[in-house]
Amino acid sequence: MRLFLLYFFIGIFLILLQSTFLHLLPFGPVVPDLVLVLCVYLGLHHPTTGAAMGSFVLGYAVDVVSSRMLGFNAFAMTLVFLSVYFSSRTIWLHHPVVSSLIVLFAALVKGLAMVLVWVIFLRSEGFWMGAGRYIIGEAVWAAALAPLLFSLFRRCENYFKKFGAVV
Amino acid sequence: MTIEPAMLAFLRRNQVPLSCCFCLVLSIYIISASARGQLKNEPLGAVLMWIMRPLQIAAQGTVSWIGGLQDHYDTLAGFRSENERLRKRVQTLEIERQKLLEAQATNSSLKQLLDLRSHLSGTAITASIIANSATSWFQSCQLNKGSADGVRKGMAVVTPLGVVGQVVAVTPRTAKVLLLTDPNSGIDVLVQRTRARGIVSGSLENGTVLKYVKRSEDVQEGDRLITSGTDGVFPKGMMVGAVTKVLKQHIGLFQFIEVLPAVQAARVEDVLVVSAANSTEKN
Repeated sequence: MRLFLLYFFIGIFLILLQSTFLHLLPFGPVVPDLVLVLCVYLGLHHPTTGAAMGSFVLGYAVDVVSSRMLGFNAFAMTLVFLSVYFSSRTIWLHHPVVSSLIVLFAALVKGLAMVLVWVIFLRSEGFWMGAGRYIIGEAVWAAALAPLLFSLFRRCENYFKKFGAVV
Repeated sequence: MTIEPAMLAFLRRNQVPLSCCFCLVLSIYIISASARGQLKNEPLGAVLMWIMRPLQIAAQGTVSWIGGLQDHYDTLAGFRSENERLRKRVQTLEIERQKLLEAQATNSSLKQLLDLRSHLSGTAITASIIANSATSWFQSCQLNKGSADGVRKGMAVVTPLGVVGQVVAVTPRTAKVLLLTDPNSGIDVLVQRTRARGIVSGSLENGTVLKYVKRSEDVQEGDRLITSGTDGVFPKGMMVGAVTKVLKQHIGLFQFIEVLPAVQAARVEDVLVVSAANSTEKN
């Protein structure tokens, strides 16, 4: 439960970053999806029901903050978690480069999920061009940031465990 | 009885995928409901917003502060680049201004030449000085017009300000002019005030001088010298120079008179080459 809360608040913090500070950086229209990286991390290192629910809640929080319609990111993040959960059982995934590749893969899964629900529930002009650009942009940035964020998550978790043991 | 434990074992073994599936189905339901506009009072979103709102306000405040800093920096950088751009623009405009001033000066000079040309009878060829003397021993210059343009040896070279010299050599495309300041030149002149006659010539020692003026003639400093027109080369009445020094020696027939030429050849660019037929001005 404590870990769940830790990652929940880390997730909230990442959403804050995505909705505020990252817009200051020169990424163009693409906002690096840090929450996606967290969901991948949870899928790799904490393959539990709580983590699955956490991914859903984080995706939903992203929807609450930014989506035109609720449920898009909740669906995508849950799908990401599920795909990482299955892949983590067959591949050794603890190397930073591999984590990047997995995040890249997860970002593509998320992109496909978004396309899927968008095509079903929404219609918009020039969707495919924009979608392609965002999927690739988000995937590249997420993959690039994955090793650093994974390391931060691990340190946070270790610090939290130590702190929790002392308390 | 036997199904329940197996069911529980299956659920326990696949609790993660099953919970994911549940979340996926829930997501689809939420999307569908949201698309139909049926999801108006959902509690989870309200709770999340309640948690995130103060954090977002604080974060946005920080972002605004950073953005302000960035704007200040951008503004300063903008000033710098604007300053640089304007500086380059000023340089460009200064160059253009110089060109315009140059064109204006050339235009004025050519207009004066045209005026002079209209006062002269016979042939008058406009030419530009393209080179000056390469040695201090001779006072000459080169024109960009030659025999192909009608320039002949012996023609007078003048400007609206006065006499420049005389053509002494011609090629098809150039002409050499012996300036009146050269020791080998000689121009028949009149003192405008008293009509006393003399010859203006250059000298290596004393600059330009007026020769052969009798001691009895009244010549004073500041007197203007004009061409007499009797040499058959220069039009009558052209300004030659002004007297700067008069020295009457105790012995000898003539006065020693120094002259300041009306035209400084080194500063002249455009001239008129006048034929010998123009022995007198119209007026």
